[in-house]
Amino acid sequence: MGFLNKLGIGAGHAPRQARSLPESRAGHNNSHHGNAVATGPHKEPELGTSTRVSNALKDFLWNLDGLGRGTLLDLGPAWQTTLSFFIERGFRVTSEDLLRGWTDFQAKEAQKSTGMVLTADDYAERTPEVLAKKFLDDNLQYARSSFDALLLWDILDYLEPTLGKMMVAHVTEMLRPGGVVLALFHSKKPTGFQRYRVVDTTTLQVLTAKPIVPAQKVFQNREIQALFSGFRSMKSYIGRDQLREALFLK
Amino acid sequence: MWRKEDGNPQSDVSYGPKSAASGSGPAVSGKAAACVSQGIKIKGELTGSEDLFIDGFVDGKVNLTNSMLTVGPNATVKAEITARELVVRGRAEGKFTASERVQIWHTARVQGDIKAERISIEEGAELHGKLEAGKPINSANSEASQQTKKAEINKPNSRVTEEKGATGAATAGAN
Repeated sequence: MGFLNKLGIGAGHAPRQARSLPESRAGHNNSHHGNAVATGPHKEPELGTSTRVSNALKDFLWNLDGLGRGTLLDLGPAWQTTLSFFIERGFRVTSEDLLRGWTDFQAKEAQKSTGMVLTADDYAERTPEVLAKKFLDDNLQYARSSFDALLLWDILDYLEPTLGKMMVAHVTEMLRPGGVVLALFHSKKPTGFQRYRVVDTTTLQVLTAKPIVPAQKVFQNREIQALFSGFRSMKSYIGRDQLREALFLK
Repeated sequence: MWRKEDGNPQSDVSYGPKSAASGSGPAVSGKAAACVSQGIKIKGELTGSEDLFIDGFVDGKVNLTNSMLTVGPNATVKAEITARELVVRGRAEGKFTASERVQIWHTARVQGDIKAERISIEEGAELHGKLEAGKPINSANSEASQQTKKAEINKPNSRVTEEKGATGAATAGAN
């Protein structure tokens, strides 16, 4: 991202009027708009979309500015807009839908125990700690310091708290010193389920989708600080929509 | 950066979404010299230098390093695929590597890891797994970027230092 992007006139900074993202989902084949088309996985029925100005995203990008070729890990679903946004800026983007992975993992585990008479040993293998460790052994397998940036979105609100804690410790290892994390936290227990995609340098699109997991926890600032204690700094932005944005620097 | 023709899957007449939307079935162009059609089952390793269209069942390994592979809407593929370009319109499970690009159509159900320089995903496509897109970062480049970053961090008046003072403070933003 260069000087022009800083001024808001660089590549990828489309003016609001020219934005090709649909405000509501009229149909799913919008490819005539080129690579700025909003696309996404999982056939989750979108119940509505809205956009929000994101100061944390702006700061997140500011911190990545001048990095040249960076690496980004997106723990949300793979959206074309988000991928294109970062790829156009020279990033190598890795996308892994952690919540989807967790629900798939839970379903598999439940299937394994269907019809089984569980022994004490089986119960011991089904504690939140053991399950979280097992899940992380199969997922998020990346080398230490292999990413410059991480998009965590609001998944911590939905992950089982033990897994959330272990996952943050795990991703901290995967980030390079100076790496940056963008996370969102709901100030109140969310009733719906939302997915996020990057529209431009300051705007996120919020897609209301069918819940795949219920919300688990509302984090207080102190808990967030404890969770990200391996980071040098934290900056948070309180929005009017009960959504706190947080930026962490390693 | 995406080239103009790359950004729009419709520019590919043979495999473009237009033909799928019209319900004309699997479109095989003259370029697609080989075809594993519906009802054909192959288990094993497929290697070639021609474009291939799979609309049947393939289980194994597909290696088309310099060619394009299309997984048709009726296909079920469980394979480790290496191709120059990969288009997925049906069910695919495994590990997929494309040296140029991957197109995932809205009819696609993909389970596994995808690695490509460029990727396009249509709304409605189902993805379970890991996706890696963008130009590969070589070690020298990565080292250079890390050094730049370190220099940035060590600047006495850098933004990072400023933010350190804000640790733990909840800053009211104007969202």
